[in-house]
Amino acid sequence: MIRIKNLKAYYGQIAALKGVDMEVETGKITCLIGSNGAGKTTLLKSISGLMKCTGSIEMEGEGELLGLSPRKVSRKGIAHVPEGRHVFTGLTVRENLEMGTVPWHGCFSRKKYDEDIEQVYEMFPRLRERNKQLAWSMSGGEQQMLAIGRALMARPRILLLDEPSMGLAPLLVTELFRQIKRINEETGMTILLIEQNARVAMKASDYTYVIEQGEIRLHGPSEEVRKDPEVLEAYLGKHASKGCR
Amino acid sequence: MSVNLLGSIVINGLAMGMVYAMIAMGLIMLIKAVGILNFAQGDLLMFGTFLVSFLIVDLEIPMGAALPLVMVLWGLLGAGFMMITYWPLRNASYPVAPVVATMGASLVLSEGVFLIWGTWPRTMPSLFQTADGRPATVNLFGAEIQVQFFAVIILGALLMFLVWILTEKLYVGKMMKAAAQDKYAARLIGIPHLLTTMVTYILVTELICSAGYMVAPIFAVTKSLSSLQLKAFAGTVIGGFGSIKGAVIGCLIVGLVEAFAQVNLSVYKEAVVFLVLMVFLIFRPGGLIRSKIQDKA
Repeated sequence: MIRIKNLKAYYGQIAALKGVDMEVETGKITCLIGSNGAGKTTLLKSISGLMKCTGSIEMEGEGELLGLSPRKVSRKGIAHVPEGRHVFTGLTVRENLEMGTVPWHGCFSRKKYDEDIEQVYEMFPRLRERNKQLAWSMSGGEQQMLAIGRALMARPRILLLDEPSMGLAPLLVTELFRQIKRINEETGMTILLIEQNARVAMKASDYTYVIEQGEIRLHGPSEEVRKDPEVLEAYLGKHASKGCR
Repeated sequence: MSVNLLGSIVINGLAMGMVYAMIAMGLIMLIKAVGILNFAQGDLLMFGTFLVSFLIVDLEIPMGAALPLVMVLWGLLGAGFMMITYWPLRNASYPVAPVVATMGASLVLSEGVFLIWGTWPRTMPSLFQTADGRPATVNLFGAEIQVQFFAVIILGALLMFLVWILTEKLYVGKMMKAAAQDKYAARLIGIPHLLTTMVTYILVTELICSAGYMVAPIFAVTKSLSSLQLKAFAGTVIGGFGSIKGAVIGCLIVGLVEAFAQVNLSVYKEAVVFLVLMVFLIFRPGGLIRSKIQDKA
């Protein structure tokens, strides 16, 4: 779906990405793990057109994405759920979802989106219950569901998730990843997932990339990467090898 | 107090309250949809009113042609105001910069009016006149009341209703609010920032300039029209900063208080308005209608 070649991005003089090559396969969940400051979010921002960078980001059937504005990228079918959720706190749940349709709805048309909303409600029944509630009054987990739901409203071809587990209780994280997996299985949605919570991310995904200081350290099917001794040590703790199967 | 006096005071108060309410509504729309407190609100109103007076009185363009033309000019005024005071500063590291810019714009507008049209007060013909050019009146319980007052109340209510529908019920209005609440997310989702901001500024300018146009035949067209803003501020605070409903109610209260004060304590009418404001600030600082949205960590 998306092929990234030799992607370099800078914050001033500091290189955040030092030539990343990566591929996101259609219909699969690809995850990118790494510690704080490894360049995970920068990579997503580069895809969404929020960063100035060099290299190439090619999307299947849409061509080069590099240099496009975030608005144009969103119209190509890329929905980005940003780190920290960023729901519209003063709008109701339903209004938040309605806003997700902007990429294909346009500003003044009257296209219908009731079915889209219904689908999201089916996926996240909690949102239906809170239909008319203002988004700020919801819990972190609900806001995360709302943010994902809003992204789905864009009818995307690929979903970019930035740290969906951030600030959530462990039980909620499990639940959330079950939902993410369900979205992938039921709709065949391509997902690029970024996580610090390596264990959960690798469990849910098909393919894993490990990024370190702006470079891809290793990659492979999640099953294999999960057992890689280097990864075990760096991301799952030294003694995790016993517990993590 | 006799019935006829009471009736004329109430109508007068409601009409002025409506004018303040239109200014306040514009103020709150800018706060809600752009996040900017506009200190040039009154000066935009004054400038817009001078424009109408210039077209109708100086250029003698007939009313039917002048009004559509002036709507376009008001729109341009709003768009230009945005391009100068907001757009270049929207990413400034000091977030209050665009607010300070509106203070500067307020000076530029009011001095600009002096430079262009001089210091003399001008007149604005009312839409409602008798054959000999005097303002038309209606008889209400024995009191003669200018038709213009009724026009202000009805047209003001209508305009505010239209704007409310647009911002609260229509898709574009939700986009405007969303963009104001979270610029980053709005950008990611693909909400066109320039468009939503410009629509807001244009709407606000049209709204407050029509308020100026409607109130101008009652007063004269002078620089002091910009001081209407102060009472709109008072009404906004009384109503609860941030809610359009509250601001409208607050402004109507201000208008009525002012009208009653005018009869008994005419010299002190301004003082009375701000005394009421102070009472509110002391006993109910959150205003009549408090905003429901809070920040959450």
